[in-house]
Amino acid sequence: MKISQSHTMRAPRSRLAESMILFRIGGMSFAIAAHAVEEIREMVELREFNFGAGHEKLARIKHIFERNGRSYFVVDAAAQFHVQNPRPTRLLVLQHAPAAVLVDAIDRMQDIHSIHELPSAFCGEERGWYRGLAVIKGRVLPVVRPEALLSKAEATLLRAMLRSDRNAHQMVVTR
Amino acid sequence: MNRELTNRHPFVLFPMGNKRFALSAKQVSELARHKTHAEDEPQSFPHTTPLLVGVVVRRNQIVPVADLAAVLVGPDAPERKFYLVVTRVVSGKATRMAIPVTGECELAEAEPLPVTSNLPPYVLGLLSFGEEIIEVLDLEHLMSTEVRP
Repeated sequence: MKISQSHTMRAPRSRLAESMILFRIGGMSFAIAAHAVEEIREMVELREFNFGAGHEKLARIKHIFERNGRSYFVVDAAAQFHVQNPRPTRLLVLQHAPAAVLVDAIDRMQDIHSIHELPSAFCGEERGWYRGLAVIKGRVLPVVRPEALLSKAEATLLRAMLRSDRNAHQMVVTR
Repeated sequence: MNRELTNRHPFVLFPMGNKRFALSAKQVSELARHKTHAEDEPQSFPHTTPLLVGVVVRRNQIVPVADLAAVLVGPDAPERKFYLVVTRVVSGKATRMAIPVTGECELAEAEPLPVTSNLPPYVLGLLSFGEEIIEVLDLEHLMSTEVRP
C-alpha cells in the first residue's frame, strides 16, 4: 500500500495478526484491512460525475478520477454509512475494484488479533457493511467489508455508464 | 400442589421514568451500573437497526445496547442509571443485550393478569402490585421492526 503516492507503509505482522487501517468519517471511527487498500492519496484531480439518476444506490458515487489511464469511482462513505458532517480530506484507493473511499482522516495502522462477530441484534444494512467488530484498547470499531463500499457488479455498471457517457459526449463533439 | 403457587412467576421490575415495567426473570442475567467504568460507556458506530444505540464491552464480550425509553415512555425519559443485561434468542442463537433503565430494579413473584385489547402489542401481560399495574414486556416484539420510537 502506498501513502501519498510515494511512501510504503507496512506494519510488522505476527502470524495471527491482521493489519488494519483506522480511519474516521464525521467523528466515527472505522477499520479496514490494510491489504484491501492500495493507496492513500490526497483529494486531488477529482471530477464530478452524477451516476445517481435512476440508480438510487449509486447516488453515493459523485466523483471519479483518472490514475494510470484508468478511471476510479469515488465512494462517499459518509452517504453510505449515513454519517453526518463529514469533512473529507483523504482517499483510500481500494484493491478489489476501481474505487476509492472519501474519509476525513487516517488515524493509524494497527495489528488486530481477532474480529468479533457483529451481534445478531444488529439486523440492518450494517450486516452487509461490516466483517465484524474489533476491540482496540477498549474501543469498539466496525471492520468495513471493502466489497460493501463498491461491489464488482456496481463497478461493472459504473464502467458501462461512464463509457456510454463518453461515447455520447464524443458524438456531440464530432457532429 | 397449590394452584396459586404454580401460576406465579419471577419477574424483574424496572423503572423507566415515572412508570415501572417487567421482564421475565428468566431473561435477565445481570444488573449493572451505567457508566461507572470506562468499559460500561456505550460506544456507537453507524448502523440502521432501530432502538439499538451502540454497544458496551462487558467481560470481554460486545453487548448491544437497546434503549427502549422512546417506545415505552416517550422522548423525555430521565437519565438512565443502570443496565439490565438480558438474554435473547435471535435466529436460534442466544445473544446478550443491555437495556438502560432509570433506577434500581426489583425481583418479584407474581401471577400475570390477562392482557386487555387496548394495550400495545409488545405487552405480554399485566402484574398487579397494590394499586400499581405493571406491563410485562415481550422483548422480541419490542425489538421487531414494526415498533418505531
